[in-house]
Amino acid sequence: MRSIVQQLIHGLLLILGVTLISFLLMVWFGPDQTYTLIGKNATAAQIAEVRHQLGYDQPFVRRYVDYLTGLATLDLGASNSSGEQVTSILKRTLPISLALMLPGFIIGNLLGMALGLLAAFRRGTWSDRLITGLSVTGMSISFLIIIIALQVLLSTPYGLNLFPVRGWQVDSISSYLTYVTVPTLSLILVTLGYNTRFYRAIFVEESSREHIVTARAFGASPATLMWRHVLKNSLVPITTRFMFSIPLVVISGSLLIETYFGIPGIGKVSFDAITSGDQPVLKAVVGLTAVLFVLIQFVADFIYRAVDPRIA
Amino acid sequence: MIIQRVLEQSVGFLRSDHERGTVRDGTWSRLKQDRTGIIGLFIVTVFFLISLGVLLGFLGQGWSAADGGRWESASSNHWMGTNLLGQDIFQRAIFSTRTAFEIGVIVSLLSTLLGALLGALAGWYNGKPRKTWIDGGVLWLTGVLDSIPFYLFVAAVAYALQGWPWAMHVAMVATFWTATARLVRAEVMRIRSREFVLSARTIGLPAPLILFRHVLPNTLHILFVQATIAFVAAIKTEVILSFLGLGVQDSVSWGLMLAESTQEVLAGHFNNFLAASLMLFLLLLGFNLLADALQDAFDPRQAAL
Amino acid sequence: MDGAPSNLDPARASTIYANFLAVNLYDTLYRYKYLARPYELEPNLAESLPQISADGLTYTIRIKKGVYFVDDPAFPQGQGRAVNAQDFVYSLKRHFDAKTQSQGAWLWQKRIVGLDKWKENGSNYQQEVPGLRALDELTIQIQLTAPYPQLIHTLTQGFSAIVPREAVAFYGKELAVHPVGSGPYRLLSFNNTAAVMERNTRFRQEPFSLESEGFNPNLQSGYGLQQLEGLVPPFMDRVEVEFIAEDAARWNAFIAGELDFVKVPVSQFDQVLQSRDPPTLKPSLASDFHLQASLESGFVHTDFNMADPRIGYHPDRVENARNKALRCAIIKAFDWEKRNEIFYYGMGQVFAGIIPPVAPEYDPDQNKIAFARDLDAARLLLQNHGWSAENLPELEIGFTSSVTERLMFEQFRSFLAEMGYPQDKIHPLTFASYGDYAQAYLNREVMLMTIGWTMDYPDAENTIQLFYGPNASPGSNSANYNNEEFNRLYRASSTMQASASRTKIYREMNRILIDDCATISGISRRLILLWNRKLALLPDRSFLGGHFFRFAGQRENRQGTKN
Repeated sequence: MRSIVQQLIHGLLLILGVTLISFLLMVWFGPDQTYTLIGKNATAAQIAEVRHQLGYDQPFVRRYVDYLTGLATLDLGASNSSGEQVTSILKRTLPISLALMLPGFIIGNLLGMALGLLAAFRRGTWSDRLITGLSVTGMSISFLIIIIALQVLLSTPYGLNLFPVRGWQVDSISSYLTYVTVPTLSLILVTLGYNTRFYRAIFVEESSREHIVTARAFGASPATLMWRHVLKNSLVPITTRFMFSIPLVVISGSLLIETYFGIPGIGKVSFDAITSGDQPVLKAVVGLTAVLFVLIQFVADFIYRAVDPRIA
Repeated sequence: MIIQRVLEQSVGFLRSDHERGTVRDGTWSRLKQDRTGIIGLFIVTVFFLISLGVLLGFLGQGWSAADGGRWESASSNHWMGTNLLGQDIFQRAIFSTRTAFEIGVIVSLLSTLLGALLGALAGWYNGKPRKTWIDGGVLWLTGVLDSIPFYLFVAAVAYALQGWPWAMHVAMVATFWTATARLVRAEVMRIRSREFVLSARTIGLPAPLILFRHVLPNTLHILFVQATIAFVAAIKTEVILSFLGLGVQDSVSWGLMLAESTQEVLAGHFNNFLAASLMLFLLLLGFNLLADALQDAFDPRQAAL
Repeated sequence: MDGAPSNLDPARASTIYANFLAVNLYDTLYRYKYLARPYELEPNLAESLPQISADGLTYTIRIKKGVYFVDDPAFPQGQGRAVNAQDFVYSLKRHFDAKTQSQGAWLWQKRIVGLDKWKENGSNYQQEVPGLRALDELTIQIQLTAPYPQLIHTLTQGFSAIVPREAVAFYGKELAVHPVGSGPYRLLSFNNTAAVMERNTRFRQEPFSLESEGFNPNLQSGYGLQQLEGLVPPFMDRVEVEFIAEDAARWNAFIAGELDFVKVPVSQFDQVLQSRDPPTLKPSLASDFHLQASLESGFVHTDFNMADPRIGYHPDRVENARNKALRCAIIKAFDWEKRNEIFYYGMGQVFAGIIPPVAPEYDPDQNKIAFARDLDAARLLLQNHGWSAENLPELEIGFTSSVTERLMFEQFRSFLAEMGYPQDKIHPLTFASYGDYAQAYLNREVMLMTIGWTMDYPDAENTIQLFYGPNASPGSNSANYNNEEFNRLYRASSTMQASASRTKIYREMNRILIDDCATISGISRRLILLWNRKLALLPDRSFLGGHFFRFAGQRENRQGTKN
């Protein structure tokens, strides 16, 4: 049973580790942004000037410490490429990424739960096998293939041509729906296979527990069992999984969708920052993700232990 | 990929309550009876033979010859037509099998080995006075690596090691090992208290010997399954990385073919897309079926569910 | 647009995309006439063409009265004030202030008296620069260190746009996303996928006159321009500029009706064109869209790194000659026709040397042999100089990692293979981003590099300077070419105004360069622009322009989204 202090230290160490590794990777070894910022015909003096402005000529430790202090005080600076304040970039892009990914995430999971429940309920029958087969198939199709195929089928004259190819000009409910549909569909299709399998495994696991088996032997109806007991007990792993997935899905998962569909969310912004070496943005995104992740682990740990005292 | 990993962690946790079989008792017979598993194995073997054929120079050698016209449709000369440069799509798809296997094998082997090693060490020294920092360290490392958004990490590593053909492999191994390590660690902690281990320690056998000759072999079932999962993840990641321009540099891969095809499909040329998608899908399907069959074969209680 | 500006600060407007927005949101002293071809200068913020002293060193320019900046919180009470000559002085001085991180300073480097010194002395804005003064509210005087005929062209570029110091003080770095200008449009919103502009109601009222813009009724009728005569530009109330770099996505958006104006991606050329020469639209499209097919104002070429002794200059005379033979052989093995056909739909224009077709000094009778493929001659060259499959050097070709670039590399490799160059001696050197690529070749680390250059002004000096010795890396002479005669001729011609004798010198320099086989050059791509017939417009993408945009109008009364 770890004390709160121990956990805090653990969390802090984690944040330090994440920031150190990402700092090393993205800042120390990352792309040198100098050369995108100089004009044609730059002189060596100009190049040195820009490097100085970007802070490249300072020693590693100094830059790392500056990074940490900036993170702690939330003084995140401004993007090197566009000059915009990082905080305003985040304020602008986070809501977009959330609005983009959440529907797909939630629907994908709910659908997965429903299918997994159905499969677990009728395990061994043809419907179970069908569902399992479909989910394995789903897991075997690359995200890229789905995105390209959906785009051709739904957004081009070769297909239905109902939705915009890309973009995010959202100013009303209807425009939101037009822009979010194809990405959401792709997200659902990609994650459905994994989700269904996962939920099926959990529900099967739960329904094979002794108390359930006994209740069935006593003639309890399978439906009530499923709903009242299995689902309830499965809530813990389900919630933890949800919580762990959110930051990862929103930031990492959104990267591909946003770059492909041209949606100005945090995934695209961070990817652009990596490729161009725009350090202030990168530092902020990685640092905040780390903190968020640690916080979530905290909370999840807490919930888990609160709900199930066997786990210590 | 991330989702897959969270999945594995969570399910692994659930399974911890059950007794586990090892590779030996009855696994093989169960595997042989699993029809979908056999299909998976068959597919994988076929692809493996193809990649071997490419490696040895029998197949797909004309992948870079630009001798066709632009975007020809399927013909007897070019079975699936040609791409923009006039290169034979079918040959390119076949050659990509070798690329896929090369990445898959290297990444899955290395990440599984690394995960096994670190996981075993962590599990063994967990709770041991003066040495529990090893466990703490490994756990910290896995926590750190899992906290960094996957694609950002891989992209950053690919950038940092730019130009080096192994950059992509390193990036993938660096993240895939954590899943294996966690599972192995849990298993080792469980095995640690089993009788044969206790007796070995009473006799006075040195810890590394016990670990490597007795404990680790009992984790082989985890390793096999993880290796297949890692293979799948590696290939899928390579596709995305190549699409983003961070993957395979010289030679050809399905990811590169798909990247080429994004422009082509909008001009109505689907051959590139279809060839790459089909091959990719079949191989992944084969491996997924195999992974499932392996999991079921190793743990009969799960299979009966 | 097929790319996104990252930054709308005029001092950083180094890409076509940024420049386009900069010249529409800000004012420049000069611009090009909308319709005159070849391009003619036209006063923009300036009243008239500059008064130039006899020795070519002093330029006096008067600017128009009654021009105002847009209303913005940067100004006291949020009211935009009148533009005056000091603003121009300030805007140019900014380029020489390290804090600005200017990308355009090179245009005026060492050209204006006292400006470089001003920078050395710490960029103190209170200090006057002797060569850059405001004589009064509306008069600017520039003193040059040496005659600079291209100066006036530089004053049409986004780099020279007028920026109010209040905005810089107020917004600091965020000026990049908060433009405060006096141009025909003002910015409503900007992010990395789109910019939305609306008409600037405070813009100068200057009625559109077809004649003064150089209208040619024979070539330019039928675009609906006549109906705009006498109206006051800009004609559009609101414009959305979307940045879609991916060809597929951009084309789809256009086809779906989301865009009114697009640069057609090469992969769609055969879907769009009925005939290549002359380019005409397919009938199904011709009813709704206008087409313009013009050569880009720039070109693509592959340079050898002359500073690399494996392929370039070698201290030993014999080796040097061998290297030259190798380079010439590679150039002869390059199949321009195939490159043109596959990647540019056969519509690019190939030419020898570095004076592209769009430059006024281009020689249409140029010796076509210089770029015709000749495998036999190539093989002979290799043989005569002792090159064989065993001792040929390993070649590293640098490029940024993209599908098209990779295919181009593979094609290049197959070209050389046909000459007998072993395939496994030709390696790709990929870079994940353009910045990294630039870093490598600016540090002379790349053996062969493919570079696209967009001309800054219609004067071949702009491309010739690409091979001027002292401009070697990190300057724009990425080939690190250094030929004494070439350098001498460059210095002699750099102070000459455009004339027949100057053109002769340029062509002579071109010949020297071709003989030295320092570069595989080049091809100017053809741009196919399509726009909806509902727009009355004649676009122009040349010379980092964008000035044409204020003249875009509707044929019907309808609010539309553009580009």
